[in-house]
Amino acid sequence: RAAGPARSHLPRGALRPGRGGARRLRGSSSAAPALGTGPGSAAAAREERGPGRSSCGAPAGGMGLEPLFQAWSYFRRRKFRECADLCSQLLERPPGEQAAWSLKTRALTEMVYVDEIDMDQEGIAEMILDENAIAQVARPGTSLKLPGTSQGGGPSPAVRPVTQSGRPITGFVRPSTQSGRPSTMEQAIRTPRTALTARPITSASGGYVRLGTASMLTNPDGPFINLSRLNFAKYAQKPKLAKALFEYIFHHENDIKNALDLAALATEHAQFKDWWWKVQIGKCYYRLGLYREAEKQFKSALKQQDMVDTILYLAKVYLRLDQPVTAVNLFKQGLDRFPGEVTLTCGIARIYEEMNNISSAAEYYKDVLKQDNTHVEAIACIGSNHFYSDQPEIALRFYRRLLQMGVYNCQLFNNLGLCCFYAQQYDMTLSSFERALFLAENEEETADVWYNLGHVAVGIGDLNLAYQCFKLTLVNNNDYAEAYNNLAVLEMRKGHIEQARALLQTASSLAPHMYEPHFNFAILSEKVGDLQRSYTAAQKSEEAFPGHVDTQQLIKQLKEHFAML
Amino acid sequence: MSLFKARDWWSTILGEKEEFDQGCLCVADVDNSGSGQDKVIVGSYKGYLRIFNPHPVKPGDEVQPEDLLLEVQLREPILQVEVGKFVSGTEGLHLAVLHCRKLCVYAVSGTLGNVEHGNQYQIKLMYEHNLQRTACNMTYGPFGGVKGRDLICIQSMDGMLMLFEQESYAFGRFLPGFLLPGPLTYSSRTDSFITVSSCQQVESYKYQVLAFATDAEERQETEQQKLSSGKRLVVDWVLNIGEQALDICVVSFNQGVSSIFVLGERNFFCLKDNGQIRFMKKLDYSPSCFIPYCSVQEGTVNTLIGNHSKMLNVYQDVRLKWATQLPHIPVSVKVANFQDLKGVIVTLSDDGHLQCSYLGTDPSLFQAPKVDSREINYEEMNAELKELQKIIREATKTQDILPESDKLRDLTVTAEVSPDLDAESQAIESEVKAEAVPSVTVKITIQSRVTAQKPSLAVCVQAPLAVTCDQFVFDDLEPDSSETVVVSVFLKGNCSPSELEGNCMVLYNIPTGKRPE
Repeated sequence: RAAGPARSHLPRGALRPGRGGARRLRGSSSAAPALGTGPGSAAAAREERGPGRSSCGAPAGGMGLEPLFQAWSYFRRRKFRECADLCSQLLERPPGEQAAWSLKTRALTEMVYVDEIDMDQEGIAEMILDENAIAQVARPGTSLKLPGTSQGGGPSPAVRPVTQSGRPITGFVRPSTQSGRPSTMEQAIRTPRTALTARPITSASGGYVRLGTASMLTNPDGPFINLSRLNFAKYAQKPKLAKALFEYIFHHENDIKNALDLAALATEHAQFKDWWWKVQIGKCYYRLGLYREAEKQFKSALKQQDMVDTILYLAKVYLRLDQPVTAVNLFKQGLDRFPGEVTLTCGIARIYEEMNNISSAAEYYKDVLKQDNTHVEAIACIGSNHFYSDQPEIALRFYRRLLQMGVYNCQLFNNLGLCCFYAQQYDMTLSSFERALFLAENEEETADVWYNLGHVAVGIGDLNLAYQCFKLTLVNNNDYAEAYNNLAVLEMRKGHIEQARALLQTASSLAPHMYEPHFNFAILSEKVGDLQRSYTAAQKSEEAFPGHVDTQQLIKQLKEHFAML
Repeated sequence: MSLFKARDWWSTILGEKEEFDQGCLCVADVDNSGSGQDKVIVGSYKGYLRIFNPHPVKPGDEVQPEDLLLEVQLREPILQVEVGKFVSGTEGLHLAVLHCRKLCVYAVSGTLGNVEHGNQYQIKLMYEHNLQRTACNMTYGPFGGVKGRDLICIQSMDGMLMLFEQESYAFGRFLPGFLLPGPLTYSSRTDSFITVSSCQQVESYKYQVLAFATDAEERQETEQQKLSSGKRLVVDWVLNIGEQALDICVVSFNQGVSSIFVLGERNFFCLKDNGQIRFMKKLDYSPSCFIPYCSVQEGTVNTLIGNHSKMLNVYQDVRLKWATQLPHIPVSVKVANFQDLKGVIVTLSDDGHLQCSYLGTDPSLFQAPKVDSREINYEEMNAELKELQKIIREATKTQDILPESDKLRDLTVTAEVSPDLDAESQAIESEVKAEAVPSVTVKITIQSRVTAQKPSLAVCVQAPLAVTCDQFVFDDLEPDSSETVVVSVFLKGNCSPSELEGNCMVLYNIPTGKRPE
C-alpha cells in the first residue's frame, strides 16, 4: 500500500483580483485627508454661530470658475483631494459656507469609502462568545458551522483541499473565506498566526481600525470635524447636512457610537419614515454586535422601501447569526423583486459554497455569468470547481478568459500552470509558473507557486526536484503544512523514518484539519511497529475525513492486531 | 475587466490643460444641415467652443483639419452646451451656451466656399441673458406643453430654478431644502422637473406648481412664506434613493412608457413616471457618466455606463450585454449619427480626449508582457545544475530543516567475528563424528549511552550451527558503559549449514519517567 497521496493543491493561490475581495477600496485609503480648516474651527465655530447661508462666494473674476462650482465639479470627477482643498479655502472665508462644508465632508468620506457589505471580519471573541447561537448542535444543512454534514454532495477532501473548518477551498478569496469559522476555542486560538490568517481577538480591534486609518493621520490643525463638540440634535434636524455628516462619522472617523447617536436622533426627527436612517442604524448595530437589533432595523427599512443594499445587509446579519437558510430565502425574495440582480445571486452562490453544496453554488454562479459575463468571482469559482472535479481543460478555459479580461496576477498564472499540467499541456506549464513567480507579490504567493511546482515535479517523477521545490516552499512560508506533509512522504521513500516522522508531526500540528499528515503518520508508525501511535493517528485522520477508505482499513487492521494480542 | 476595447473611429485631443465635465459635450445637427448628420459640440472650462464634424477616410485616421468646423474662445468658462429650438419664430436648432453668470444662444451657420475645403462656419449671437446668480447646470424642453419651441431652465449653485421663455426671463423659484445642486432634467410626459437633492432624494416638481408659486427673489422670503401663504413650492413626488446622483435622464422610446433613469454613485435606478422603482442595479464600480440610448427589445432600454476604471458597459435593463475598454475615463458619453455610420459612441474625458468609437471585437489593450526568455544552452545549464546540487547536498548535511539524526543510538550492539579459527576448539556436544570440530570466536559488545535496565542478550544462529552460550543476562547498564561477551560458533548438526549468518538481540528497558496510561 502506498503511503498517503501527495495532494494537489490549487487554491492556496486562489484568485484575488483587484475588483473584489477584502480590499475593495473605492478611494485610496492611503490618501491623507485634506487639511482641516483651522483647529476644529469649521465645526466648532459653526456650533456657536450655527450654519448660516450666504449668497455664493465671490463672483467669478475673469476666466475663473466659481470656486464652489469648481469643487463640485471636482467631486463629480472623483478628484477628492482637489475638491477638499478647494473647500478648505472656501471655509476659511467668513462666513462658513454650509454647502462647502458638506461637500468637503463628502469628499473626505469618499476618499476612504469601502462598501460596508464587503466588510466582514469576525474576531475570536465574537465567534467563541457567540450569544446568538440558537442550537449548539444544529441540524444538518442549516448551519454554517457544520459544513461537512450537508447532503449536497460536496467534494471529498481527498479531491479538493479544505480550509481549517472543513470547507472546500473556494476559487476566490473573500474576507470570510480566509479561515472559516472554527468550531472550538482551541482551534480558534491554534490557528497558525501568519499575516494571512491572523484573526483579531475582537472585530472592534481588527480590520476596522486598520481601515479607518484616515482618521488617525494627524492633521497639523486637528481633525476637520471635532466630533466631541458637535451638537448632534441640531444636525439631526437638518436632513440635508445630517446624511453627509453621518457617512463622514461612520466611514471616515470610524466612530460608531457617535454615528449611532446621530442616526437615532435623525430617524426620530424623520418620524421613523426614512428607510435610509434605519439602514444606517442597522449598520451601526451590526458593527456593535447587536445583531438582533440590526435585523429589526433592516426589516423595518425593507418594509418601507425595497433596496438591494438593505437586502444584502440583512442577509449579512443572518449569516452572522448562523442562519444560512434564512439568508438564502431572503436573497430569493430579493430576486423576485429585483430579477437578475448579480449581487443577490452571487450571495446565494457564496452561501451554498460555504455550506459545502458545490453543485448548487455552481448553478448560481452560472446564473451570475448569464447576467454579467465579466464577473471575476463567478468565473474563478466555476473554474476552480471544474478543476477539482477533474476537468482541468474546462477550468483552463475559464482561467484563460480571466487572463483575456486583463486579470494579471500571480494567482491566475499559478492556476493556469496547474491546469495546463493536469490537462497535459506541458509546454505551457513551466512558463506559467515562471510568470507566476515573477508576479508574486509576497512570500506566501511565492510559496504557493513553489508548492505547485513541487507537484509537477512529483508528477514527472523528478523526486529530487520535488524535494527542492517543497524545501523552497518552506523557505518562503514556514507554516505550509501541505509542504511538510509532502516532504515527509518523500523522506519516507528515502527511508529517513525519523525525519519523516518529525515533518509529519509538524504538519499535523500546523493543520489539524488535514487528514493526510495523520494518515501518513499512522502508516509510518504502523510500519515501524508502533501500533499504539499508529492507532491514535489513524483515529485523528478519521476525524478529519470520516469517509477515507484507507484509514478505515488501517483502523480495522489495527483493531484485529490488538484483538490478537 | 473586459475582453474587448472600443474601436477607435475618430479621436482627437482638445487644447492643452483644459478642463471638461459632464455638460461640456453635446451632439446634434447644430447647423441645421438637414442631412441628419450630427456634429460634436464641445465647450471647455477655459472658454473654448469647438464644433467638429468627424468624417475619417478610414476608421482610426488622423484628424483632418476640415473636421474642425469652428473654434472660438468665449470670454467666460463654458459650463454646459445644449442644442434646441431656442429662438422664437423659427424651429431651427440653436446652440445655448451656459456660462457662470450668463446664458447665450447662438445660431451656427455655414456658408459654402468656392473651393472644396472652403466651407466657412460662424456663430451669431441671437440673445443673451445675464444671470443674477451663479449658474450650475440647465435643462430645456417644451415646458408647459408648448409646441415647436424649447424653454430653458437654469439651476443656480444656491438652488434657484430660473426659467427663460426664449428671449425673456419668466420667473425664478428656490428649491426647498436645497444645499448642493444635483443633476436636473425635464420630463415632458409629466411636465415636471426632476432633480436629486442633497437629502439623497429624487424630487419631481410640476412646472405648473413652479409657475404658480409666488415669485421669490430672496430665500428668506420663502422661509416666511412657509409660515404665511399657501402658495409655496410643493413637491410632486419624492423617492428616497439613499445616495447622491451623478446624472439623471428621462427617456420614452416606445409611446406610453417613459422611464426616469438615475445614475447614483453606487446604484443605477430606473423609475416609473410616478417615482416608483422599476428596477435597480447595484454597481460594483464607480460610474462616471451614462446615457440610455435606445430600446432594442420591446419593454427594455439599453444604457451605456462609463466608469472610473476606463470601462464602458452596455446594459439591457440590468443585464450586461457588452463591456468595452476605453482609453480614458469618460466624463460624458453621447450617441451620435455620422455620415453613413449610425450609433457612434462619443466620449469626452476631463482632460480633453474626444473619441468617437464603435463596439468591436478587438482584444482589449492589455497584453501580458513577455517573460525574458533567453536561448538555453543545455550543456552549461546542466553543468551549473550539477554544481548547485552538489552545494545543496553539502549544505543539507549540516544545516537542513531537520539535520540527519546522529548515528549515536541509545544502545549499540557490535559483533566481531575473529578472522581465524579458534586454536582450541570450543565445540561441545557436537554430533559431527570428527576428531576436531572447528569453532570461531565472536566478540559481542553492548554499548549504552543511557541507563538500560535488565539488559539481556540473545544470540541465535540457524541450525546446524550452534553457539556455546545463547543467553546472557547483565546487570543494569550505567550510561556510557559497555559489556563484552565472547561466544564461539561451531557446527553441531551433521550436515552442511545453509546459512552462515546469525542474529544478536538485546532486550532492555529504558525508564521514561512517564507513568503507564
